[in-house]
Amino acid sequence: MNPIISLSFIDYLILAAYLVITLVVGYALKKYMKSSEDFFLSGRSLPSWITSLAFLSANLGALEVIGMVANSAKYGILTVHFYWIGAIPAMIFLGLFMMPFYYNTKVRSVPEYLKLRYNEATRGVNAFSFAIMTLLMSGISMYAMALIFRMMLGWSLTSSILLSALVVLIYVFFGGLSSSIYNEVIQFFLIWLGLLPAVYVGLKAVGGFSGLAARLPETFLHAWKNMGSAAANPMGVDWMGVVLGLGFVLSFGYWTTDFLVVQRTLASENISAARRTPIMAAFPKMLVPLIVVVPGLLAVAILPEYSLALQGSATPDYNSALILLLAHYLPNGVLGLAITGLLASFMSGMAGNVTAFNTVWTYDIYGTYIKKNMPDKHYLMMGKLATIFGVLFSIGTAYIVQSFPNLMDYMQLIFSFFNAPLFATFLLGMFWKKATPWGGFFGLLSGILMAAGHYVLYKLNIIHYSSEMAANFFQAWWAWLTDFGVTILVSLFTRKKAESELKGLVYSLTPRTKGSEMFWRRPEVWGSIALIVMVILNIIFW
Amino acid sequence: MAGEKRSSHFFDLKIPLGFLLSFYGLLLLLYGLFGPSHIYGKSLGLNVNLIWGIVILAVGSLFLGFAHFRQKNSNQIVKKD
Repeated sequence: MNPIISLSFIDYLILAAYLVITLVVGYALKKYMKSSEDFFLSGRSLPSWITSLAFLSANLGALEVIGMVANSAKYGILTVHFYWIGAIPAMIFLGLFMMPFYYNTKVRSVPEYLKLRYNEATRGVNAFSFAIMTLLMSGISMYAMALIFRMMLGWSLTSSILLSALVVLIYVFFGGLSSSIYNEVIQFFLIWLGLLPAVYVGLKAVGGFSGLAARLPETFLHAWKNMGSAAANPMGVDWMGVVLGLGFVLSFGYWTTDFLVVQRTLASENISAARRTPIMAAFPKMLVPLIVVVPGLLAVAILPEYSLALQGSATPDYNSALILLLAHYLPNGVLGLAITGLLASFMSGMAGNVTAFNTVWTYDIYGTYIKKNMPDKHYLMMGKLATIFGVLFSIGTAYIVQSFPNLMDYMQLIFSFFNAPLFATFLLGMFWKKATPWGGFFGLLSGILMAAGHYVLYKLNIIHYSSEMAANFFQAWWAWLTDFGVTILVSLFTRKKAESELKGLVYSLTPRTKGSEMFWRRPEVWGSIALIVMVILNIIFW
Repeated sequence: MAGEKRSSHFFDLKIPLGFLLSFYGLLLLLYGLFGPSHIYGKSLGLNVNLIWGIVILAVGSLFLGFAHFRQKNSNQIVKKD
């Protein structure tokens, strides 16, 4: 297969400089790794601008970027729902209401909170499912990267998998979460600086936003107008599905309970920085459509293979939309920068999963079920070992996912299995003091089983939806509702925890501390501003 | 007080980030000036390497500037103590 892009010396120089700097940063962090908290939680010492950008970038993996460009080439502006209603309210909720529980209780992971609030068994279910999920996800990003580098540059699958695995292994092994977070911040800048030139030149070529709009069908241009029924818009989902499935369950489930993102907030230097982390991240998050939705729309407007698809006369490979657009507009030089941005976001996606995995493995599985009460040095060493076998396992899963045809659907599927029900368990745990330990356990378990059952029924064609996306949204919703209902039901018949045990874990039993900072540092103020901006954006693109 | 603050725990990320971006900026700028010019047909005749090189160099120097300013500041505080 001929590569789409031919890189020259300068592009390779840019790529190499990035690899060198990540290795140097990782190695330089080595001497700060004295305790397990340094390694797994960055010693809870990072300022909020760093944790905010890392919080955002952990989710802005290249798979996400490429997948979302593909989505917008397929569905148009509707894709913004993943960035606005499908993210912002949840991020603000995490900062304002949930962060005090995570940060002030000094838990080191999401499963550990479940242990304090419910019981050991609930933690176990979450720890094991999360560990499996992160390894699968890390394998997916590695495989996706290898696929793209083969298509783009003609590199072989195995060599790109091994190269990226080696670099990630080295810098996570030495610097732990800090390496991972620092790399995410670097990636944040690279992906923006890498993609903006293509957006700019593309918009110039079509005559600005109005010129772009003139070349697209009407359904591609509105975020809400055609949401009245599933049949009226290209995504095949109605407003109910978007609000309940994406905006409520999937988004809150992901942003508030997925340890991969929550871990970044735990690395903050104090509670107020921890609360600001997701809220300050909301602002750049709202702008991400500029570098993912606009390229998707440009691809449809300019590249013939995608504009023909509008008339139904072709079924193009949407996943290559971004790459084709980059190849179309960018000369060598900035092209190398864009490719480096993509490489950086693949690697940080992988590193994020590996660091979340080694933390949950060491604290919640190894330190709970295998070797309890060992000195801290032992767990630090275990974390480093876990990094090695985490990476090796991901290489294994990278080859397993080769057999799945559609990676994005696969990812959404994983989320609806594990994150969606978990959010119900957290909501009840944090805001309803009568939720009992076994209520939490059976609720979580039945939520996961409900998602599995729904998936089987959908695949056997017993339940029908107008699109795969709609199926995912509703699967998340039913899994959440089952968890919510079962937790309440079981809680009515099982023994409660004493109120003294729940202090600091449940909203009504936690004394509220009044913030003493100036108003411009208060998370409430910034959260409200973010929400208002989001509403305005939705009205503009209605 | 300054000793208790744990933010001095790790080195300042602004430094490696600033160096990387300044390097990229400079590289693109020079490539835009002295590199081949026939490649800009793709970008509608626009010398994106030159323009974007300047922008990235500015961002990179901003980071280095901030890092330098902060270090100077914290040195002064230590001296006062």
